[in-house]
Amino acid sequence: MWSEKHRPQNVSDMIGNEESRAAIMEWFAKWKKGTKPILLVGPPGIGKTTIAYLTAKQFGYDMIGLNASDVRSKSRINEILSPVLGNVSVLGTPMIFVDEVDGIHGRGDYGGAEALIQILKEPTVPIVLAANSDSSEKMKSIKKVVKTIYFKPIPPRLLRVYLQNILKKEAAKLSPGSLIKVIDKSHGDIRSMINLAQSFVTGFNPQTEQSFESVNVEDGINAFFKAKSLDEARSVLYSMQIDPRQKIDAFYSSVITSNLDNHTFSDLLNILSKADVLYGKIMRTQNWRLLRYLNEILIKLYKNDERIRYSQYNLSWPLLNRIRWDGRKIKAFSLLMAKKLHLSSSAFVTICLPYLLFCVKNKTLEVVLDTEFDDIIEKEIELLK
Amino acid sequence: MYITITNSDLLVGFEPRVHMLASGMWVEKYRPQTLSEVVNQTEIIGSLEALIKDPTDMPHLLFSGSAGVGKTTTALCIARQILGEYVRDYTLELNASDERGIGMVREKVKKFSRYAGMADVPFKIIILDEADEMTADAQTALRRIIEDTARYCRFILIANNISKIIDPIQSRCATFKFTSIPQDDVINHLESIAKKEKVKADKKGIQAIYDYSEGDLRHAINLLQATASLGAVTEEHVRASAGLTKTTDVDEVLKIALAGKITDAREKMIELIKVYGMSESDFLKYLNSAVFKSKHEKLSDILEVIAKYDYRILVGANPEIQLSALLAELGKIES
Ligand SMILES: Nc1ncnc2c1ncn2[C@@H]1O[C@H](COP(=O)(O)OP(=O)(O)OP(=O)(O)O)[C@@H](O)[C@H]1O
Ligand SMILES: Nc1ncnc2c1ncn2[C@@H]1O[C@H](COP(=O)(O)OP(=O)(O)O)[C@@H](O)[C@H]1O
Ligand SMILES: [Mg+2]
Ligand SMILES: [Mg+2]
Repeated sequence: MWSEKHRPQNVSDMIGNEESRAAIMEWFAKWKKGTKPILLVGPPGIGKTTIAYLTAKQFGYDMIGLNASDVRSKSRINEILSPVLGNVSVLGTPMIFVDEVDGIHGRGDYGGAEALIQILKEPTVPIVLAANSDSSEKMKSIKKVVKTIYFKPIPPRLLRVYLQNILKKEAAKLSPGSLIKVIDKSHGDIRSMINLAQSFVTGFNPQTEQSFESVNVEDGINAFFKAKSLDEARSVLYSMQIDPRQKIDAFYSSVITSNLDNHTFSDLLNILSKADVLYGKIMRTQNWRLLRYLNEILIKLYKNDERIRYSQYNLSWPLLNRIRWDGRKIKAFSLLMAKKLHLSSSAFVTICLPYLLFCVKNKTLEVVLDTEFDDIIEKEIELLK
Repeated sequence: MYITITNSDLLVGFEPRVHMLASGMWVEKYRPQTLSEVVNQTEIIGSLEALIKDPTDMPHLLFSGSAGVGKTTTALCIARQILGEYVRDYTLELNASDERGIGMVREKVKKFSRYAGMADVPFKIIILDEADEMTADAQTALRRIIEDTARYCRFILIANNISKIIDPIQSRCATFKFTSIPQDDVINHLESIAKKEKVKADKKGIQAIYDYSEGDLRHAINLLQATASLGAVTEEHVRASAGLTKTTDVDEVLKIALAGKITDAREKMIELIKVYGMSESDFLKYLNSAVFKSKHEKLSDILEVIAKYDYRILVGANPEIQLSALLAELGKIES
């Protein structure tokens, strides 16, 4: 991943936000017991985490890093930080970095923020916080006890110089048009610019025999369904020089999220299903030759239908979040219980878990879990029918 | 009763540890510990007892049969009876549906079988549950693994569906087909558990549990415990606890898909698979039984559609795309 590979090694290698960077350096240089902690606020991918790590290194601190999920409850904060704050010198020269502080949340779980504020009020070691936004109530109370330093999106001219530098190191080329597009699309977010540039460079092959210009996924899918003729659609399809898996998935998520009647919907999905079967076969047999038929299956998706537009995600946000947060916990829990009960986690979750929760609800069974799991058990009990 | 799980090292992330056993759950508490306690399955138990009289000769074993009839229990009893006090160290238990691919199985078996048994045991035992969840390719690789470790290890393979086990493996094993447990035996077993747990259970209540769980003793015992959490085991309480399982959600997915609400059906299906971790093959299994239960007038059309996509998944296509396409096609059937 380019964005990791090219993470600056020195504060002076960073670009943009010169004044903010200087302010941080000065704060570190002058730091003594009692100096107000600093809070770095700014949009993603502009170097907040990077500068925290670099300055820690430069000023010889041992960084104790936390993020939002560690800072959820008072006991947890104290558990992690009391040895640091209690001057146990085995830890070297510690400092504390709390990333994503604006992510501290949880119903009624104010204990975490309060405990943090208590610590911020009497800092015995340097404390740096970072956040994307400082507008929530919780952030407002944190801001009262820290010095806030703002980071702004990086201006295009700096981005351009920086990107060209990376491209040079990677011996990669990007057409002037793509360069502008990449810079423009990143909205001042360096990480996203680098990621985008990398996907542009590796995503398609410049010396293709096709005469038409390559297009990216989003433009490609939209142009495909806007095409006035089958031929036009075909040329768009062939110019989408991306990984076949990505191509199928992009069509899939775009179709899934479009508002179509059931018949059209089912027909399109059936075509995608066939394309996907072919891809599966190719992967299994390693007969790459067969790839040339993939586009000929996908072309059957064509219809001039503006209802179908590109979509990156094929699930609603609530469900995506539930998969990401609840799903992880449920799976960790059920994998473990499944082992105890000598069955697969799928069978556990289907047959046993609901009954177990029911017994817990009726207080004939008690599940004593780490606090990390408390909320999920409660939530699932509420969801029982 | 307690089940304790802590996640002490919070920086490591989600790796909970169990302190106390899952013995709070009756299925585990009343799992037979010796072959003679296993309910029904008398013929199988008889010949297994004969087979392990002289364990050095014991072949690899293959158990098949539907869920909750005692396959895993029997395997564990055999391990305990042969290995005695060393059972913990010399038994490896794997569930194919939770291992990520044959590579993972190979790694674990390799590590486990590396050294010959130190103690006074004839061999080590590897229990591979849900072996029919493995693809044919993976089973071919498994065959190799069985051969490579034959000197020190015996396999007990367990499958729901023996026809999904490739012939070369079947031929290396002594095969035992477990039948579903007859009504009387289930009822007696449930009554004896109720008695030991000192819960009041009337005949109708126990009968309702049997009707609902259809010979799956694991399901029956779980349902018994859930029902008992409401007080006495009566028909009314059984009814209030039954239907909690996620199979009900699969019934629901079928219903809303057939009603043409494809997006809703899909989100619900994905929730089951991605939030709860129901495996795709289990989803299809429960979907099939939901179809049979529905007694739909186009039953065979529906089954044909399901079979088509089940096959596509089997040959290596992406389950999510295939299952979505499946639901979309079901959405056309009634219209
Ligand atoms: N100022 C910068 N100079 C050079 N590269 C940068 C800069 N900011 C970010 N990058 C690049 O982006 C990557 C991510 O940066 P970093 O982790 O510091 O972002 P961040 O500001 O903490 O974002 P977030 O708010 O999402 O946590 C770095 O590895 C580096 O490649
Ligand atoms: N034949 C049986 N005799 C006694 N208990 C059984 C029997 N079959 C299943 N059970 C009960 O159901 C639970 C699950 O049984 P298990 O052997 O794991 O089923 P499977 O056949 O699915 O492997 C056991 O813990 C036990 O409580
Ligand atoms: Mg960051
Ligand atoms: Mg089993």
